[in-house]
Amino acid sequence: MNGSALTAAQAGLVSCETCDLLSRAATPAQPGHCPRCGAPLQSRRHQSIQYTWALVIAAAIFYVPANMLPVLTTNTLGSSESDTIMSGVIYLYTSGSWPLALIVLIASIMIPMGKIVALAYLLITVQRGSIKNNRDRSRLYRLVELIGRWSMLDVFVDTFVVALVQLEPLMSVQPGPGVLFFMSVVVLTMLAAQSFDPRLIWDAGRRRQVGHG
Amino acid sequence: MAEDSGLAKLPQATVVPGKRFRVSIVWAIPVLAAVVAIGIAVQRILSEGPTITVVFRSAEGLEAGKSFIKYKDVNIGQVTAVQLASDYSQVEIKAKIAKSAAGLMVEDARFWVVRPRIALTGVSGLGTLLSGNYIGFASGKSDQPRRSFTGLEVPPIVTGGLPGRQFLLRAETLGSLGIGSPIYYRRLPVGEVVAYDLAADGKNVDIKVFVQSPYDKYVNPGTRFWNASGIDVSLNANGFDVRTESLAALVAGGLAFDTPVFAPTAAPAAADTAFTLYSTRAVAMKQPETVARHYVLYFNETVRGLSIGAPVTLFGMPVGEVTDVGLSFDPGTLDVHPRVEFTFYPERMVMRLSGRQELAAQALAESSEQKRHAVLRRLVEERGLRAQLKSGSLITGQLYVAFNFYPNAPRAKIDWNRDAPVLPSVESLIPDLEAKLPEIVDKINKLPLQAIAEDLKKNLETLDQTLKSANKLVSHVDADVVPELKGTLEEARRAMAAAERVMKGAESTLVGPNAPTQQELRDTLQEVSRTARSLRVLTDYLERHPDSLIRGKSEQKFGRQ
Repeated sequence: MNGSALTAAQAGLVSCETCDLLSRAATPAQPGHCPRCGAPLQSRRHQSIQYTWALVIAAAIFYVPANMLPVLTTNTLGSSESDTIMSGVIYLYTSGSWPLALIVLIASIMIPMGKIVALAYLLITVQRGSIKNNRDRSRLYRLVELIGRWSMLDVFVDTFVVALVQLEPLMSVQPGPGVLFFMSVVVLTMLAAQSFDPRLIWDAGRRRQVGHG
Repeated sequence: MAEDSGLAKLPQATVVPGKRFRVSIVWAIPVLAAVVAIGIAVQRILSEGPTITVVFRSAEGLEAGKSFIKYKDVNIGQVTAVQLASDYSQVEIKAKIAKSAAGLMVEDARFWVVRPRIALTGVSGLGTLLSGNYIGFASGKSDQPRRSFTGLEVPPIVTGGLPGRQFLLRAETLGSLGIGSPIYYRRLPVGEVVAYDLAADGKNVDIKVFVQSPYDKYVNPGTRFWNASGIDVSLNANGFDVRTESLAALVAGGLAFDTPVFAPTAAPAAADTAFTLYSTRAVAMKQPETVARHYVLYFNETVRGLSIGAPVTLFGMPVGEVTDVGLSFDPGTLDVHPRVEFTFYPERMVMRLSGRQELAAQALAESSEQKRHAVLRRLVEERGLRAQLKSGSLITGQLYVAFNFYPNAPRAKIDWNRDAPVLPSVESLIPDLEAKLPEIVDKINKLPLQAIAEDLKKNLETLDQTLKSANKLVSHVDADVVPELKGTLEEARRAMAAAERVMKGAESTLVGPNAPTQQELRDTLQEVSRTARSLRVLTDYLERHPDSLIRGKSEQKFGRQ
């Protein structure tokens, strides 16, 4: 079953991504434009792997300052304290609320990291033409796309707290530069997941089959 | 082939000449990300100040990441770690200093923990009650950078930049002074004790004091410092003397300084000039006597009450002081006499002379010994200059030595043959109470007590008579005035009774229980109540027998119903 079914690309067909009209490609290299809506046709997303790689690398770079810089600065009567995501997790853990610490750890540290790793894994396997675990890999892709939006939890809490806790001069909370980078990581991984073309997973199998047969 | 024909029906795509493959613009995103991240990292590294280590005895109230180092109330660093030193005896604090303050970390910079302190001389660091303890910083003057320091346990008093000068005081004991003890100038607090230490030889205490500008200009080489700690109570022949600088100095100790009037006017003393710290103001402000002459006196009476330091006066003016009180014993004649040594300061006498006399006396005081002795001999032998013990205060019994002329005194000579010349003395006029006691008793005995008693008796009799006539007067008042008064009172009472009767009548007619009005009202009300009762009976009946309105009241037949 793996990649054995006839794909549209194999049949010289291409479906319009805008209006879903299935049409015959002008040439296999350049499918041309949709005859109905005029949108450019592409049997696979244009430079999908390159785009995804670029976005994943950018996200990985931003992941470092996102975790190193403070996301929250708390001023309490003259003394101010800056917290990074990790120090917040540690603080929550040491102050006894380990379930909260676990939630923040998973949502803010593990999920962005996991997304970057998952996308990199998908890209590498596609580029190497792997045919193993095709279904699992497409499931992984769907998962990455699904949980993307939930990584904004930390940013949401941060903005919420900053807006609420403004009790000058007793106490005030200021956002740190880390939150900007964290948000960039989340947005970039979401864009990367979107620019990745899951159909490429199945192409490798066909190529290999063609090669064998 | 149905499939083929189906496919053939699909429209043919149009061809648009495409662009050639090239590196996508999307790679600008990771490049930009890298540039931003590296930029931040570089900025971080560049703005990173030095990390210093400060050793304290305890880290009370200091927390890593929360405590700051403040200089002039500006944050210049943050404590990054609080840990025990390798030998566990002290606490090592690591702090990251802002790059802008890196230049301040020099050899003689000082650190201390600012915490609330409440001392007798004041309260400080109350702000830390809310914000938590922090590390205070005082800049140094050195150019040598340093990264590890030893923290002070007590905040330094003079933080850099305060104008003023330091002086060194040499004292016998520290007394009740401490770091921060105030220094007064004309009772104005003008400085503080900064440090103290035992002198190298261990015989003195070196006290470092700081006098603020502009008061430091009043310290000149002639200035005297004295200990103003506590109350200075002195009890001497001059009387009772109490001095204190301020309440704070009374409790916490303090110093004071002043420049005596006789000191030559001079430029302000240079910083770190050494001064002697005197025990009291009196000692400090005493004019230094350059010429002192020693003499001895022998008395034939008790010198109890004469203490060392007691004044020696000439016609009431202090011209010297007693330096020793002892005995002289002659084993041959078994003569025992009190021996009093004193010092005579000619300058004090000269000081009290006027104009030209002063110059002459000054010349005499500085003249040769023979000339002076000749003058003294003439004073004693021709004018009768004699010493005499006098009581300075009857309460305390303090004595002093007074010199006066006694022309009628028996002739005497100065004994020049001893170490110090012996001057003649005369017996004092101090009343000896023990000797006088029998005399007093005798006088009391001689008092005409009998006569006094008789006088008293006569007086009492007269008083008796006076009282009797007073009594008569009172009884007259009783007899004549009182009956009339009685009549008036009776009249008044009658009027009151009449008024009372009127009131009572009004009460019985209007509001009394059996008053007529009341009675009528009651009757009426009873009538009304009866009417109401019969009305109720009627309505009840009508309710049960509405037909009776038409048919009239029917006979009640008890038997059947």
